[in-house]
Amino acid sequence: MVAEPKADLSVLPAGASRLPRPSVWLLAVPMLAFLAIFFFYPALNLLFYSFQTQSDKGIIGPPMTLAHYARLFAVDLYVKVFWNTLQIAIITSLVAIVLAYPVAIVMVRSTATINRIMTLIVIAPLIVSVVVRSYGWQLILANAPSGLLNWILMSLRITDTPVEILYTKTAVVIGSLHVFFPMMVLPLASALGKIDPNLEDAARTLGAPWWSVFRRVTFPLSMPGLVAGITLVFSLTAGSFVTPVILGGTSSLMLGNLIEQQIFVVYDWPFGATIACVLVVVVLAINALSMQILEGKRMQRIAG
Amino acid sequence: MNARLSGPGAWFLYAFAAATMVFILAPLLVVISVSVSDTYFVTFPPEGFTLKWYAQVLQDDDFIRAFKLSTLLALATTMASLFFGVPAAFALVRTRFAGQSFLKSLLLSPLIFPALVTGLALLQLLSRFGSADARINLLIGHVVVTAPYVVRTVVSSLMLIDQNLEDAARTLGASRLVTFWRITLPQIAPGVAAGGLFAFMVSFDNFPISMWLANSEYSPVPLVLMRALVNVFDPSIPAMSTLVIIFALIGVLILEKVFGLRRAVAM
Repeated sequence: MVAEPKADLSVLPAGASRLPRPSVWLLAVPMLAFLAIFFFYPALNLLFYSFQTQSDKGIIGPPMTLAHYARLFAVDLYVKVFWNTLQIAIITSLVAIVLAYPVAIVMVRSTATINRIMTLIVIAPLIVSVVVRSYGWQLILANAPSGLLNWILMSLRITDTPVEILYTKTAVVIGSLHVFFPMMVLPLASALGKIDPNLEDAARTLGAPWWSVFRRVTFPLSMPGLVAGITLVFSLTAGSFVTPVILGGTSSLMLGNLIEQQIFVVYDWPFGATIACVLVVVVLAINALSMQILEGKRMQRIAG
Repeated sequence: MNARLSGPGAWFLYAFAAATMVFILAPLLVVISVSVSDTYFVTFPPEGFTLKWYAQVLQDDDFIRAFKLSTLLALATTMASLFFGVPAAFALVRTRFAGQSFLKSLLLSPLIFPALVTGLALLQLLSRFGSADARINLLIGHVVVTAPYVVRTVVSSLMLIDQNLEDAARTLGASRLVTFWRITLPQIAPGVAAGGLFAFMVSFDNFPISMWLANSEYSPVPLVLMRALVNVFDPSIPAMSTLVIIFALIGVLILEKVFGLRRAVAM
């Protein structure tokens, strides 16, 4: 740390930056440089790759082409995987919303002990490897009578033949929901925690039934957390790799699996890069959209 | 914290939330219960009780090697993330300059980018410039996605501390370094610890980066598990998985102790 003249200390302006140290921003340089080399540059390069041509010998270079993008949206299999990905990510986000509201509401409106226990339960799985969690669902959903769900259903005589959920999109949605559920609950709980309970009480005192209190007061005020949650769950689900492999089988592949195949099996780097870029565009679009919504909300509040 | 849940909706909310908790815990509990089952193939209900699969895992060289690699990798990742992340957080909080919010989004951008693509892009770079040691490659890849966590937790710690204390120390003649070490650091310690622990856990569990950068010699635990699951049937998988769960639980409890979970994750 460079010694600086002490003079600047004797003049402490009343504002936020009391120690005028213009050099402080330099502290960000190491990380910025690191990310520039190992994140921004390679990411841009990947984008560049998606427009390049790969020769028979595996050499990648000009001419520039849009052929890979055209191929992605012309071949049925790829289009199907693309829609699969969107569909799984959207359904997972929607189901997560429905499950997360009651959990988040109970978390913030209940006693401190319940809040603590629920937070622990919600967060604990977050730190357990996705592989382990998907494996747990594989055991539960197994199509044979030896799967937990089938064992329960058949023991209770709800069904005589095992239900087949594993290796379908439903299984991938269930797995993704489990893996990314905390990402919906936590922002939602923090948004709900900021709502003044008096507002809800006022609505109730004025005779509004609970669903109407929820629809007209709680829900609109929880929007920032909701939007953040949806964005996280959607982005993370769309970029899945492990869950579709373990729970989806060949019929529910997602873009991540397609990328891995192109790179490790087919060795088609430009096409792999193309799929990766499409995935990035989808994820960034959702993020931009949610930012727009949140900004809009804030502007509205300021204007109102 | 107001206990304001009452009325006709309340019982429904509690029941629903409880069911969701069961949903969250179910796969973990299933894995744990199967790990002590005495059958070669998984069946329900689990039969018998044995610890033989644990004995087998603890003698499994591949798993032990993977566990050591993952632990060392996570430690190195944590160090490097703190090295990059803590100063960057200072730059974001302690000064004002044009483009500051842009800088913040740049530093946090690996968090919204699909990790799978981050890993792929890095693989392409590293294979082109020929970095041969998979361990170094893994370290670089993990730091890209973990350093932003440190930035986030330290930024929110820094926003909370009282700068008057630092000013006082400086006025009393403490050098900038001493002030940082004795005054600033103790105040942001929880944020630094939470960020470091996040970095450790994220690195230890990372799959989407490691899948590109690992090789057959150096594979972290999640990859070894995945390989065991997909390629060859291995009856000790539940035991391996349970060890991973236990390891994670320890991490969560430390996080809760050091920082309080809600704060750690909300940041």
